[in-house]
Amino acid sequence: DGHRPPQVVPGADPSARQLCFAWGPAEVLVCETLFGRAGGARSRCLSRSPCPSRFWGQGRAGAAAPSLTGSVSGTGEGAPNSSRVFVVRRDQDIYIQTLRKLFNESHGIFMGLQRSEEELAGKSRKAQLVQVSKNYRSVIRACMEDMHQAAVSTRDPALQGQYSTQVSILSAMELIWNLCEILFVEAAAAGPLLLRLLDWVRLHVCDVDSMVREVLSSESPSKHKLFWNVVDVFVLQGRMDEARHLLSKEASANPTSMNMYKILDDLMKKMPVPSLGNTQTLTELELKWQHWHEECQRYLQDGTFASNPHMESICKILLGDEDAILEKKELMTTWYHFLVTRLLYSHPTVKPMELRFYAQSSMDLFLGGESSPEPLDMILMAAFEFEMHQVIKECSIVLSNWWFVAHLTDLLDHCKLLQSHNLYFGSNMREFLLLEYASGLFSHHSLWQLGVDYFDHCPEFGRVYLELHIERIPLSTEQKALKVLRICEQRQMHEQVRSICKIMAMKALRNNRLGSALSWSIRAKDAAFATLISDRFLKDYCERGCFSDLDLIDNLGPSMLLSDRLTFLGKYREFHRLYGEKRFPEAARLLLTLMTAHIAPCSFWMTLLTDALPLLEQKEVIFSAEQTYELMRCLEDLTAGNPDKQKFQDDDVETTKVEMLRLALARNLARVIVKEGTVEGS
Amino acid sequence: QVSVINTVDTSHEDMIHDAQMDYYGTRLATCSSDRSVKIFDVRNGGQILIADLRGHEGPVWQVAWAHPMYGNILASCSYDRKVIIWKEENGTWEKTYEYTGHDSSVNSVCWAPHDYGLILACGSSDGAISLLSYSGDGQWEVKKISNAHTIGCNAVSWAPAVVPGSLIEQPSGQKPNYIKRFASGGCDNLVKIWKEEDGQWKEEQKLEAHSDWVRDVAWAPSIGLPTSTIASCSQDGRVFIWTCDDASGNSWSPKLLHKFNDVVWHVSWSITANILAVSGGDNKVTLWKESVDGLWACISDVNKGQGGVSAVTEGQQNEQ
Repeated sequence: DGHRPPQVVPGADPSARQLCFAWGPAEVLVCETLFGRAGGARSRCLSRSPCPSRFWGQGRAGAAAPSLTGSVSGTGEGAPNSSRVFVVRRDQDIYIQTLRKLFNESHGIFMGLQRSEEELAGKSRKAQLVQVSKNYRSVIRACMEDMHQAAVSTRDPALQGQYSTQVSILSAMELIWNLCEILFVEAAAAGPLLLRLLDWVRLHVCDVDSMVREVLSSESPSKHKLFWNVVDVFVLQGRMDEARHLLSKEASANPTSMNMYKILDDLMKKMPVPSLGNTQTLTELELKWQHWHEECQRYLQDGTFASNPHMESICKILLGDEDAILEKKELMTTWYHFLVTRLLYSHPTVKPMELRFYAQSSMDLFLGGESSPEPLDMILMAAFEFEMHQVIKECSIVLSNWWFVAHLTDLLDHCKLLQSHNLYFGSNMREFLLLEYASGLFSHHSLWQLGVDYFDHCPEFGRVYLELHIERIPLSTEQKALKVLRICEQRQMHEQVRSICKIMAMKALRNNRLGSALSWSIRAKDAAFATLISDRFLKDYCERGCFSDLDLIDNLGPSMLLSDRLTFLGKYREFHRLYGEKRFPEAARLLLTLMTAHIAPCSFWMTLLTDALPLLEQKEVIFSAEQTYELMRCLEDLTAGNPDKQKFQDDDVETTKVEMLRLALARNLARVIVKEGTVEGS
Repeated sequence: QVSVINTVDTSHEDMIHDAQMDYYGTRLATCSSDRSVKIFDVRNGGQILIADLRGHEGPVWQVAWAHPMYGNILASCSYDRKVIIWKEENGTWEKTYEYTGHDSSVNSVCWAPHDYGLILACGSSDGAISLLSYSGDGQWEVKKISNAHTIGCNAVSWAPAVVPGSLIEQPSGQKPNYIKRFASGGCDNLVKIWKEEDGQWKEEQKLEAHSDWVRDVAWAPSIGLPTSTIASCSQDGRVFIWTCDDASGNSWSPKLLHKFNDVVWHVSWSITANILAVSGGDNKVTLWKESVDGLWACISDVNKGQGGVSAVTEGQQNEQ
């Protein structure tokens, strides 16, 4: 597919070394290396001596790509000391600030088109599509204007060059798009076709504008040395009224040629042209045109204009004389201008399908073997030949960014003009191009959001591409993460939601923001992580005696059930709250439940029992007898069945605690037995 | 058209063997014959050295970033027979685990899809492949496939995670039953596919087509189609694209992408698997895409320097 010479990474050391390559999510990495490892009989040992030429090819010609030869450092010191890694980007356009408008606004037009009424049929649908096409073009033109302003106002010659290049690229894009609109979207029929093409030429051949302005604004235009050039320009572009107006000035300045002028003026006035309304059929037009053509012929042959070569040449042009028209090459500047002029004066009722023949011969005649067609010429030729796929293919190769082909193809697809070409992964060309374009957007820190919408409208692979790309968006701020999450949630991309939440949880944990980590892991429904974080909270509590992020823990609600540890954390906090509110019986009950229902991890029992102490030593008896027995049992379970019994015995603090507990429990038991045994009132 | 947007001067004192961007393209890890692994912050065209990791005693061949949900984790493998896993804790990078179970240079490391947990596959010149799985609390479990490739294993690459059967959302905490697979390439000229069954790794397929050592294998990311695709490249200068159409993974057929004039060292897939990058011995990296008719076409060459470029042949235009 296309013969392109190698693209050179500027600045890389020319001494022949190999390239190591790695894909980044957006950019790619290239670094110089030398493959060949020790560790096997066949591979070379690494050394500082130059390696044998086996590893250095000569640059292969082979399948080539468009080259980008940049500046290359000239030093070729043999020592393998190139320690540089190049970060290479394949599409720079999305980073050009002045093109931002193009991407944003065309996105709006694209979305409008996707949602537009398909029920409209026939003419109204076509009118709608033509309007969409015009909207795209006006965005291109607006961008061109901005770019032009930028070029004019900058003082940096490099930037100026860049902007100017962009302007010409945009101009070419608009030229191509406009032609496609005429031929494909509007599908202008014979008659209107010529008028549209005339408009197209007038809009895009601007090289003569300054000359025209100069002559028109001069004091006496007919004396201006470029006067006849301007008249010719008007005639070549079919701008009869303007031509006649200028000629009248000449006539009044030159009474001797009045007669000639009147005849020419009359001929120009009478020239039959296609009209946009339905006032005449093509046959009528052709008939009229034939008569008129013959009249012109008679005047020419009679020698009416013989004494004024300018007027004679105009008459010849009116007669569609190729040579006469070709003489004015510099005023037309392009072969497609020549084409349209030819058609105007020799075959104004040209049918769309006949264009290809005229186009080819026009290009050949115009270029005349002196120069060869450029890529732009080939694209326009393909359009005149109605080879839509060719147009798209050529544009894809020539343009550096997928924007143009993606949007144009989408529009053509909506016009139902593209047959589905099954590409390797079974999707059609429209989708293929949209996927490429949208993928490119994802490497940009804010334009990626536009990419999401484009993927949404790729029915076959849009979703999976979105899944793969959206995971790679750096979640630099919580806000951004939430934005990405919302997009995933809206599309039920559960895997991605979970993944993002886990990543944010991990990040928060690393930064010791336990509350944030916990809420992210709850959102991720990640039980394991929630357990981990709960443990951290509990650990913190043990060390500091208080909880952080109380709000969060207090309001866990049903998400508490995500993990046992989390449940414990929530309940434990509840216990503290109850205690704080002096609701001792409830607190006591909860505390006991935490142990007996095994909600609390064994490691925490000691802490819980210690927490029970103040309750045991209240003036009022809180724990019932049964509860006290339970507590005692827990304590015994803890100390007896505990494999760390040794540890308990060694640790003085622990032993003291246990002793205190036993004492408190015993005392409580005594009091409660008495209380329960006492008859009320006695 | 490519443009260099950043040139990172790594200050490695010897040849760089691998450079990898992290998941988001914000960090760059490089490793070199100078035995070090370096990490740079490359956001916004900058290059700030974050870490200079020492621990290997020989040239370091490859680095691999784990999925960010596990934190900032990087694996490296070296000629010194070691695999080291580095982790960023409290803002600093430290060695978190060192594996010394190989008898020879470890040539390749590759993290499994994050869905499987934190698992690293390592291929070594001793012919074995090790699988290191994080089991929590700083502990790693090791499973070893001895004699995976005679003479040596040069590359490992995991298959993307695909849940078999329906994709109903699993209740939280429960892992779906993934079928774990990875591919390896070795000095026995073979590409092998390994599958985990009942906790054991078994050789599922042997793919024969190369006539010399297989230098690299790359399993393409999944775009939802039932086909699987693997790229392999070899000392014999050939790059093959292997495809398997059925979900059971039984019939793999190779297609020759291209025969290069020299050893092909690396192959790698872009994120959406639509482009394959091939690094060859002929100073070039070529990018390939599959076209309409199933043929692979080279869409671009990335070259460096004009030093050895031969005369222009037909079809090639050098711009100055």
